[in-house]
Amino acid sequence: MIVPFSHILLLAGVLFSLGMFCALARRNLIMIVLGIEIMLNGASIAFVGSALHWQQLEGQAFVLFILAVAAAEVSLGLAILLHAFRRTGSFDPEAYNSLK
Amino acid sequence: MTGFSAETLTLPTVALATLLPFAAFVVILLFTRSRPRLSAAVAVGVSSVSLAGTLVLLTLHWNMEKPVQHTARWLVSGTIEIGMGYLLDPVSLLMLAVVAAVSFLIQVYSLGYMAGDPGFSRYFAFMSLFVWAMFNLVVSPTMFQLYIFWELVGLSSYLLIGFWYEKLMASQAGKKAFVMTRLGDAAMFLGILLVLLHLGNLDILEMDSPKAAASMSPELLTLSALLIFGGIVGKSAQFPLLTWLPDAMQGPTPVSALLHSSTMVAAGIYLYERLYPFFLFSRTAMTVGLAVGTVSMLLASTMAMVNRDIKQIWAYSTISQLGFMLMGLDAGSLFSGAFHLTTHAAFKALLFLCSGVFIHRYATNDIFELGRQGCRSLKIPMACLIIAAGALSGLPLLSGFFSKEVILGSLAELSNPLWLGAGLLGVFLTSYYAFRLVFILLFPGESGPGHGEAPEASAPSHGSAHSRFHEWILDGPLIVLAGVTLLLGLFQVPLEQFLRGGEISGLHWPDPLHHPVLPYVSVALAALGLGLSWVEFGRRGAPRVGFVERLPGLFRLFSQRWYLDHVYGFLVDRGIDRGISRLLYLNDHKVIDGFVDGTAESTAAGGRITAFLHTGMIQYRLLTTFAVVVFLALYFFL
Repeated sequence: MIVPFSHILLLAGVLFSLGMFCALARRNLIMIVLGIEIMLNGASIAFVGSALHWQQLEGQAFVLFILAVAAAEVSLGLAILLHAFRRTGSFDPEAYNSLK
Repeated sequence: MTGFSAETLTLPTVALATLLPFAAFVVILLFTRSRPRLSAAVAVGVSSVSLAGTLVLLTLHWNMEKPVQHTARWLVSGTIEIGMGYLLDPVSLLMLAVVAAVSFLIQVYSLGYMAGDPGFSRYFAFMSLFVWAMFNLVVSPTMFQLYIFWELVGLSSYLLIGFWYEKLMASQAGKKAFVMTRLGDAAMFLGILLVLLHLGNLDILEMDSPKAAASMSPELLTLSALLIFGGIVGKSAQFPLLTWLPDAMQGPTPVSALLHSSTMVAAGIYLYERLYPFFLFSRTAMTVGLAVGTVSMLLASTMAMVNRDIKQIWAYSTISQLGFMLMGLDAGSLFSGAFHLTTHAAFKALLFLCSGVFIHRYATNDIFELGRQGCRSLKIPMACLIIAAGALSGLPLLSGFFSKEVILGSLAELSNPLWLGAGLLGVFLTSYYAFRLVFILLFPGESGPGHGEAPEASAPSHGSAHSRFHEWILDGPLIVLAGVTLLLGLFQVPLEQFLRGGEISGLHWPDPLHHPVLPYVSVALAALGLGLSWVEFGRRGAPRVGFVERLPGLFRLFSQRWYLDHVYGFLVDRGIDRGISRLLYLNDHKVIDGFVDGTAESTAAGGRITAFLHTGMIQYRLLTTFAVVVFLALYFFL
């Protein structure tokens, strides 16, 4: 491997935590979905790197599955978001605290 | 009459004599409080029974060869066994006789003195309590029992000094007395603990035997002897714990006569006699005792020389004479201390009782006032006062002369002449202040120190309704005590033989005729003191100003009690109030309260902080989920 495995894992970890931060610290529902997407991408990078490291193709195959699932999930998520916006009129998560 | 031997009679007699006063105390407080005459009858009756019992014991055991002891099991813990009971040997029998006789006479006297007082029953109840505690202290066979009754005697002293509790000064004086003696008692308790640790029990006979010296190292013996001596310093008002006794004169005069001259403060000297062989094991402790006694004697004499309050003069005199007794004991002669204790009890009680008659009649304590009001018209008290003052000064053929000679004789046996010199100086000063008082009372000139601040009378005036019975009740005990003072000196030899009879090991009895010149020297000094006071106070046209009063610095020093009270006030104020109390208060508030309150507050704050996680926002829940997963991952994979 030209790039050491630990670097790939580090990149994946950083991307994942950036995604986590985006999901937790933004005041917009869409940004939460965005953060989830970024987290998924981080996991994918980890998978690809592991596939190369252990010379098994299943890792890369799994990434394809992740992409498919991400797409489906985003569509569903946005549909829910739209519905929620119509109910409460706000994209701010603070408006969605009736379960406190 | 079978069964009436010493062995069978002793136990019931002792039990009756020592325990009945407690019954009197309970009965008076519970049942006869509202009937003063009945209370007085109970108390005086019980006192006479105790006196009779004591005399019976004296006759039974006059020729005892070894001490008689009887203890019942009281405290058993492992190998330590401490009992309660009685121990009779010549020393304790003599003290019992003194206490019983003096307390009986004084209770009779109180019938007249305290008549009309609203607290009449309470007074006799507390007197009975005191008598009970004193008796049991005297006969106790172990330091444990002695300590219990030592404290009880202090308690009854507190109750009786503050008898007129509506007067602030009286209750403060009671408090001061109790706290000061408590200081000494704390030291004594430490000494007792030391002995218990190393000897295994607190039996007085064992402490006096060579077994004690075998089981404790010399340093430990010295240390425990010094600590126990601390208790004696407190109880007998020696330097430095002596300022409570003059203040204790706030109590009724019979109380001062009984407690604070003849019996309670003598308990310290009695303890010394009791543990005499124990103290003999440590020469250092004896030297310290000698120094303390000397200093107290001289200091108190100087304070008495400038005082105007009749009872305070006798209080200082008591401190001085107790110091003198300590000097005799520490010089190596048990008999000197015991004999002087006996004679002192008689003439000091007599002095106080005579003063009490004057105070009762003229409602003032100031000697100049009393003289001016013509107290010399009361013939019997005045005559008894002169006799007692003569005994105090050591004038020939009175009992005080004989006992002082024994003490001075034992002081002369010491190698350092300093002690004998101090003793002789004390004789001079004693004679001076005693006769200063006598002459001021007898010859009230119009000149003299101005009316100034006459000290307040310590007894509320009872009016002058004096029946014949009243006067005889007051004068009778005076005459009896005066007779004792005159005659007790003749009993020196029998008393000495009696004390020698019991097995008090390790003593050497000094030969009394080693110093034939000494009696003449001391009588000359006493006469010198008398003469000086005559020149200054007695003769016609006398200036009536003592030689000390001409030196204002010295006068101030003596009348302020050598600033001892100032030192104590300073220590209590700076050291205790502003020092230790403040530190403890800060600790209580900042540290302990701070800790407890801080824990509560931080818990509440923590709750407030984490409560925001429950506001219902999605992201906080997400945050919690992520945090948990990360920590779990770290935990399992690291």
